[in-house]
Amino acid sequence: MADAFATKSFLVVDDFADMRSAIKGILISLGVTRIDQARNGSDAISKMQNKRFEVILCDYNLGPGKDGQQVLEEARHRQLIGVDSIFIMITAENAREMVMGAVEYAPDSYLSKPFTKDLLRTRLVKLFERKAHLTKVSEALVAKDPSAAIRAIDTLIAAKPRNLGELLKLKSEICIDSNRLDEATATLEQVLAIREMPWARLGIGKIQFMRKQFDQALETFRQLIEQDANFIGAYDWLAKTQTAQRRFAEAEETLRTAVRLSPRGIGRQHTLGDIALNNGHPEIAEAAYERAVGLAKHSVLNHPAIFAGLAKSKSANNKHDEALKVANEIHKVFPDREEAVFYAASTSALIKTRQGDKAGAEAALAEAEEALARLNETAHTAEHALEMAKTYAGLGREDKAATLLRQAIANNHDDDATLTQIVHLCQESGLNYDAEAAIREVQRDLVKTNNEGVRLIKQGEFEAAIRLLSQAADEMPGNKTINLNAAKAIIMYMERRGVTNDDLQAVRRYIDRVQTLTPDDWRLGDVTARLRKITSQGD
Amino acid sequence: MDSMDFSDILASSIHDIKNSLGLILNNLEDLITNPDNHIANPRQASLLQHEARRANSNLIQLLTLYKIGHEQLSMRVTANNLDDFLDEVVAENHSVCRALELELSHRCAPDLEGYFDLELVRSVLDSTIGNARRYARSRIELSAAQEDGFLVIRVEDDGGGFPPALIGLLEYQPGEFAEAANPGRTQLGLYFATRIAQLHRNGDLQGRIQLVNAHHLTGGCFELWLP
Repeated sequence: MADAFATKSFLVVDDFADMRSAIKGILISLGVTRIDQARNGSDAISKMQNKRFEVILCDYNLGPGKDGQQVLEEARHRQLIGVDSIFIMITAENAREMVMGAVEYAPDSYLSKPFTKDLLRTRLVKLFERKAHLTKVSEALVAKDPSAAIRAIDTLIAAKPRNLGELLKLKSEICIDSNRLDEATATLEQVLAIREMPWARLGIGKIQFMRKQFDQALETFRQLIEQDANFIGAYDWLAKTQTAQRRFAEAEETLRTAVRLSPRGIGRQHTLGDIALNNGHPEIAEAAYERAVGLAKHSVLNHPAIFAGLAKSKSANNKHDEALKVANEIHKVFPDREEAVFYAASTSALIKTRQGDKAGAEAALAEAEEALARLNETAHTAEHALEMAKTYAGLGREDKAATLLRQAIANNHDDDATLTQIVHLCQESGLNYDAEAAIREVQRDLVKTNNEGVRLIKQGEFEAAIRLLSQAADEMPGNKTINLNAAKAIIMYMERRGVTNDDLQAVRRYIDRVQTLTPDDWRLGDVTARLRKITSQGD
Repeated sequence: MDSMDFSDILASSIHDIKNSLGLILNNLEDLITNPDNHIANPRQASLLQHEARRANSNLIQLLTLYKIGHEQLSMRVTANNLDDFLDEVVAENHSVCRALELELSHRCAPDLEGYFDLELVRSVLDSTIGNARRYARSRIELSAAQEDGFLVIRVEDDGGGFPPALIGLLEYQPGEFAEAANPGRTQLGLYFATRIAQLHRNGDLQGRIQLVNAHHLTGGCFELWLP
């Protein structure tokens, strides 16, 4: 194990020079030879860009700028550290709750200050062992092969490990992410049979949500909150469920409680802002967006939409000048981002309309439309379409809003969260558009197209199936299901008739569309694996 | 500002004191373990370290109790391997014990798993070991086992044992501080341990602490029963 200390590269991040040298001293005494130091969050990120570190010891409090959690988020988000890297968050006691809210990007370990050399050595040895123990699982996850990851975990579980609880948790997470809901349920029930564990119960609730058993999900999350009023994850999912049930006022109430308990989540504040603004509570929305903007300042998760939300809520509160200022800031904060132009323009159009500046609003609208067309060349995202639709609605362009919404419904016919947002938008903006009827109609047509495609494939009429599905995919470039089905039809054709370059290009185009929209879509794994198989046979 | 509760002021100054103590402890650790540092009396430094660690764990307890009082404490019960956990607790307290010429060890089955909030139970054990250090003659032993549907974690020493008044089941309430007349053992520690134990629940079962004498070693034995 001494070798592990000598060969691995370490990064120590702390804003306090004395603390950095104290930790460095401890590491040297443990036999570590490769140590770099960073004095704040940005420094840490730039060091990680230039060099791969195997162990990062990062203080949570780093003074002004990024905090430790934001360093971790950015490092994982931009893949500056791999799954085999170890990230240890050093916290003072007061960071406990702050850190608890950080569910999406959790460090490998927390270490509370002050700690001794002996504790650090013991902890590192355990973490090295743990990473080694999970090597096969990590490799499969990197390769986006959940089946292999689950097989690897099952092998470990069969060997009666010391960390059965941890393995079952990991397995349930992979199963949920890859939509293996039966297996996920079985795994969670195995845990719950031994003992009632909140994280496992939350997992059951998530599965109920994914299966659209909203009443049951609601009950699960309510009970979790009843047992522990500080369980933030349960509030987030409760709000999601209430939104799915179109109980928007209740969802807002839930999120308001959640941000009181844990104000540091950017996503939570952003969601509250969106829902409160739609519910006609611009004061609450403004406060939430204001906090989100503040939190996101040094975060990799910062997004023009947060600024757009703040500007709109200010304008809704009749602070139009302030609102325009925020909208104009978008360019400065996101100078290299295509979306920035779009969000700034669409928001300005709305504000200027409310100010009575007709000519200004027209110019901004034209700019937003151009920017959206450019963005759509890469991907038709639901967020952009909804943003534009809101602006159209605010400007009284009902017909344009309706056309755009219909397109958005077609692109997202099986994405409940987006459909719910569309319904909410129509309800609250007073738009004369029957979204529910449009959704039913689009869904009916799409199911018909899909079924017809499946029927043709079953009958061996691949050319006809491909024609049908490709045409649908090109009409609805943002529809992931249709694009994946078109890709699958061509793959099945190639599996039987051999590979051609034209077909391969078509498949890649469809897969790329989905990948750009949602890189984590669980369906991608299966399609890319089949594609790999037929292309490697030719070699 | 006038609406600020005194306990809030106290809580925020505790953070400051804790940070200072953290630095003192880091420097002491370096002073004691670095062979290039020549201290006239190493035992003196170790005693300083011992007291600073005790002060630090007292502050953690105060902060935690403050949060419990304000219903801000969120429990995070996880499945933990006891062998790994006790290994760490021993490692954390090892250097101080060695300096005081006490042997600190642990024993438990390698695959024993238990359900508890790691950080809270860690601070209970740290402060209990801190107390045991003052009474042990030569040894402190940690152990864990499954008994009667509970996980029992024990901290034992080979000192003179607990006074008879303290033996048995403990359920301290703040008001009882004054009554339990025992100047040596800190009452805060026992109260804290009781509260943390009680926060651990499983169905109808609730955690508790218990003090006995001469369990495995000859002296006092602190028992944390977790459902």
